[in-house]
Amino acid sequence: MRLQSLTDAAGLLRRSDRDRVSAVMDRISGRFPQIFVAVYTGSLGEMANLRQFGFWLLNRAAFEDVPADKPNEAGILLVIDAESKAAGITFGYLLDPFIEESDTFDCLSRAHAYWLEGRHADGIVKALDHLALVLKKRSRQGRRDPERFERKVRPPVRPSELVKRLRDGHRKADTAEVVTHDDSERPSQPRT
Amino acid sequence: MNVPRIVIATVLGLGVLSAARQEPPLPVWDPEERSALEESGWVPGAILLNPEPLPDVPDAEVAEPVPPGLENPTDAELAVDESPPAPVPEEFIGDYFAARPESFLVDPQGLLGSEPYAERLGFLNYHADDSSIDFFIYVFGGDQEIPSDVRGEETIERFFSEGVPAAIVFYFLGAPERSIFYLSPSLTDVVAAPEQRRALQSSMMQAFSRTDPIDEFVAFSVQMSIRIYWMERMLSGDAVGEPPADGAAADLAAPVDGPAADQASAKPPGPLAEFVALVALPAALVLSALVTLAGLGFWLKVRARYRFPDFEVEPRLGGPHAAGIGAVISFASAASPPASQRDQVPDYLRRL
Repeated sequence: MRLQSLTDAAGLLRRSDRDRVSAVMDRISGRFPQIFVAVYTGSLGEMANLRQFGFWLLNRAAFEDVPADKPNEAGILLVIDAESKAAGITFGYLLDPFIEESDTFDCLSRAHAYWLEGRHADGIVKALDHLALVLKKRSRQGRRDPERFERKVRPPVRPSELVKRLRDGHRKADTAEVVTHDDSERPSQPRT
Repeated sequence: MNVPRIVIATVLGLGVLSAARQEPPLPVWDPEERSALEESGWVPGAILLNPEPLPDVPDAEVAEPVPPGLENPTDAELAVDESPPAPVPEEFIGDYFAARPESFLVDPQGLLGSEPYAERLGFLNYHADDSSIDFFIYVFGGDQEIPSDVRGEETIERFFSEGVPAAIVFYFLGAPERSIFYLSPSLTDVVAAPEQRRALQSSMMQAFSRTDPIDEFVAFSVQMSIRIYWMERMLSGDAVGEPPADGAAADLAAPVDGPAADQASAKPPGPLAEFVALVALPAALVLSALVTLAGLGFWLKVRARYRFPDFEVEPRLGGPHAAGIGAVISFASAASPPASQRDQVPDYLRRL
């Protein structure tokens, strides 16, 4: 599915609004060379689920105006459903260790008052500005203590491997015990 | 012991000094060599080493020669005007002495003429802007006399006791030697009388260096302005040296090319200049340094790039690129603010 990183399918943004939003998106892309931001507005219908739609769109979309060296793993997608009046943020695997759900909620909260008044562009700009602050903070933290973030995404140990390790440990312990026992008994053996 | 050495060194030093005090004899020509040189026509050092005494020169011949083009003064010039000075006309007395003058230049008789008056008034206004001591000049005719019932000290005390400290000069046009200098009561005690006298004499000397009465007046006022500036500096407690000598002051105050150049050259470095030198210039330097630093900081901030460590994340939920599903917020109603939506329950945990 091909689309632009700023797709106003719902027609919420005027030309000047689009320019402002594009400028903020470009600024984030410039300051964070690894990532990009996409904004999609549309009417998803009553049955649509905003989380599922964001998840689906970020995994399936091919953003035409995003450089090829920035895969969707590095994307942050802001979806606004004009019909249900809801908005959500989805982000790729690159940012998985660094962004919490509470961070995205804070970004959306900044825009809530503007969106209530129908000032969609202002809300988007506010949300993205706060997102930039969060990204900046997380980037610094990530450089200072990468271990902390890596731990969050390290794959969990499978039960079978855990059992195997336990068994290996027991075997080693048994062997060590036998050796120790032999060593202790050796001096007490009667000489012939 | 060191004592004998000191004694010996002292004796030797005294001997050397006494020998140095004796002038060595002048060299003397050998008669044969001298005669040989005289035959050749030139004797080196003949003037300096001439043993013959200088002939006596009569005093009349060594008298200072009269510079060419300068003639002796005529009898008319040497004649002293014996006529008594006329009093200031009665109709102008009120204009002079009825109230504190509103202008720094008081010339109700119009003795200066309109153009010099305006030019000098501008100069005095400039002085007032740049100095904490105002400078008032009352202009009278050179042959006029202030009526005896007008007492200068009382007049000054009455009009200048309050307000900005002031220096007042009664100037007689064409007769600068008759000028009278007053200071307002707040200054009389702090500026010594000799200093006041020197200021007046210095200004008179500057006036005497001109021939035209207006030029005299200009030179006088400029020099007095400079002296007032030095008084001001002394009062402010600055460690100042002697006020510039008359020659230096003349260089500073001398009109070069008309009134404009005169005013430009006569600008004393007043409080504003001191403020600029002491406070404004360092402050401007500090401010510019801060602005530069702020600009540098802003430039670095704009140029800053932030990167994230790239960790390998195991794909989840079958998503090849993303499974980081963030928050969702509803803005359908103002009745449900963000605070009430913070605790979000994933859809798959909701009861159908």
